Amino acid sequence: MESVLTLRDVNKTYHGAQPLHVLKGINLDICRGEFVSIMGSSGSGKSTLLNILGILDNYDSGEYRLGGQLIWNLSERRAAEYRNRMIGFIFQSFNLISFKTAVENVELPLFYQGVSRRKRHQMAMEYLDRLGLAQWAGHYPNELSGGQKQRVAIARALITQPQIILADEPTGALDSRTSVEVMQLLKQLNEEQGITIVVVTHESGVANETNKIVHIKDGLIGSIEENNDHHASPFGMGGVMK
Amino acid sequence: MKDIFTEIWATARRNKLRTALTGFSVAWGIFMLIFLLGAGNGLINAQLQSSDRFLTNSMMVFGGWTSKPYDGLKEGRKISLNEKDMTSTGCLFADNVDNVGASLSQYGVTMSFGNQYVNPDLAGVYPNHFEINKRELLYGRFINNIDIRERRKVLVVNKDHAKELMPKGYARLVGRHVNINGTAYKVVGIYKPDKSMQDNETFTPFTTIKTIYGMGDEVGDIEFSFHGLVTEQQNKDFEDRYRTKLNTNHRAAPDDNSAVWLWNRYMDNIQMNTGIGIIRTALWIVGLFTLLSGIVGVSNIMLITVKERTREFGIRKAIGATPWSILRLIIVESVIITTIFGYAGMLCGIAANEYMDATIGHEKVDTGMFEATIFANPTVGLDVCIEATLVMIAAGTIAGLIPARKAARIRPIEALRAE
Repeated sequence: MESVLTLRDVNKTYHGAQPLHVLKGINLDICRGEFVSIMGSSGSGKSTLLNILGILDNYDSGEYRLGGQLIWNLSERRAAEYRNRMIGFIFQSFNLISFKTAVENVELPLFYQGVSRRKRHQMAMEYLDRLGLAQWAGHYPNELSGGQKQRVAIARALITQPQIILADEPTGALDSRTSVEVMQLLKQLNEEQGITIVVVTHESGVANETNKIVHIKDGLIGSIEENNDHHASPFGMGGVMK
Repeated sequence: MKDIFTEIWATARRNKLRTALTGFSVAWGIFMLIFLLGAGNGLINAQLQSSDRFLTNSMMVFGGWTSKPYDGLKEGRKISLNEKDMTSTGCLFADNVDNVGASLSQYGVTMSFGNQYVNPDLAGVYPNHFEINKRELLYGRFINNIDIRERRKVLVVNKDHAKELMPKGYARLVGRHVNINGTAYKVVGIYKPDKSMQDNETFTPFTTIKTIYGMGDEVGDIEFSFHGLVTEQQNKDFEDRYRTKLNTNHRAAPDDNSAVWLWNRYMDNIQMNTGIGIIRTALWIVGLFTLLSGIVGVSNIMLITVKERTREFGIRKAIGATPWSILRLIIVESVIITTIFGYAGMLCGIAANEYMDATIGHEKVDTGMFEATIFANPTVGLDVCIEATLVMIAAGTIAGLIPARKAARIRPIEALRAE
């Protein structure tokens, strides 16, 4: 299968008072259409890895290719452009802009692409509709429930048709029932539309919903586990996990 | 662009009070700028009006007293200008001098018509007197060259005097004969008196007054218009040469500055223009400094706004906003706030100027002897409004620059972490 995301011996050191070698040579391939979770405890380097994957941070050595494009030493402008076109972000705390309505939030990535007002409004409505939020389009984020907010964020991530969706603890701020819904939604997007999704989490219940679990520990990939039997997890059965 | 406006509208609305207070400081700055410039223009215009009473390129020469002993003569000698001086002026300085005239007065004569009488000063003048002193004729004509040549007994009368002499329909006085100290003169013209000075003169030909009052060689004050003297230096050189010549005529020291007095209106004008320039500059500086405090206010508020919106900018950058787009957002916001409130201030300033124009702009200080205008048309022109607009846009950009750079530098990871 075609690899959409390739990491080759990626290293990252934070130069503080004491240099901290966070990523110690990460090798990872994620193929188109995969639903992968990156799991690790805090301090394992998973957040750093996510930042590098999301072109929010630089790495020191190695090679990172996204959709065949080498991501190295980009100017801020180029980085912004790549983030805009190739990556869809889903955050733990939704990160919607509070003074914009749901539909305006979804439109925003297209605004930065220079899509015309009418076109992007139409597209945003289409995506909201697909996520069952059409009647909430005119509402502000503080008028929406957590699950609805996360679905708006998912619509915003999807609207640019990115190479990959990066989800950082997407259920971290949700109750267990909504968590299940959101994970189901991601799974559905992956299965029905073949969207590549990478979920970063420390919860095994969340990781269990994905098809492949990458364990990261102390800056190295520990094991990669194929996970096709989701029902083995307690998370799947009524969401008792958490 | 419309999207940017909607964004800015949304943020401005979220912080109504803050936006209003910030805007007020800018509005106040522009208001002060416009108001000061308007008031300054009022003073300047009034000054210009009073200097407009004379032909700019004209000079008057008066006799004075010597201040230095010279050629065996003591100082303190009275100098009276005479025919020779007039000839010197006309012949030796013909390169620059146009027409030479003189004005010789007989003070406090009695002019009567029927039972009515007034006491004007009778001034014998040349035709150029009216041009140099910008006299406005109401009826009839001024003194002309034929009057001079034939020593005609004709008069050009002040309107106020004409009214005294002929209360009903003073215009009909033209063509009538009036009596001055026993001599009959024909009134040929009526002029409009200038309220800004004591105007008590009745004009008659120079040659006439000389003959009737037997004034000999004396010519009173010499007055002439000139050409070809443009710079300050040229004027000074001319004055020096001229003074030397006249002083020599009267055996006074060539460098004696008080033997004859020169009143060069052109030099007055140059000096006044310099003065006006200084006043304008000073007003701009005061206005701009007032505005500066407004700009600092905007900049300060924008900095706080940027700080508050750190997370928002982080999100924007994560989903693809370039630093430039963030920079532009903040600067445009700053420019819009500055311009909108600046315009409000400008309108208030213009309104205040108009109010000033409508009230003290038309007021005259009446001393009884003459009237003085202190404020004339205290308003600013379209040019100043355009300049002020440019200033506002520049000010907004400057005010937004630092906050915008700060916003554009926000790193998305840090912004997203900040909660």
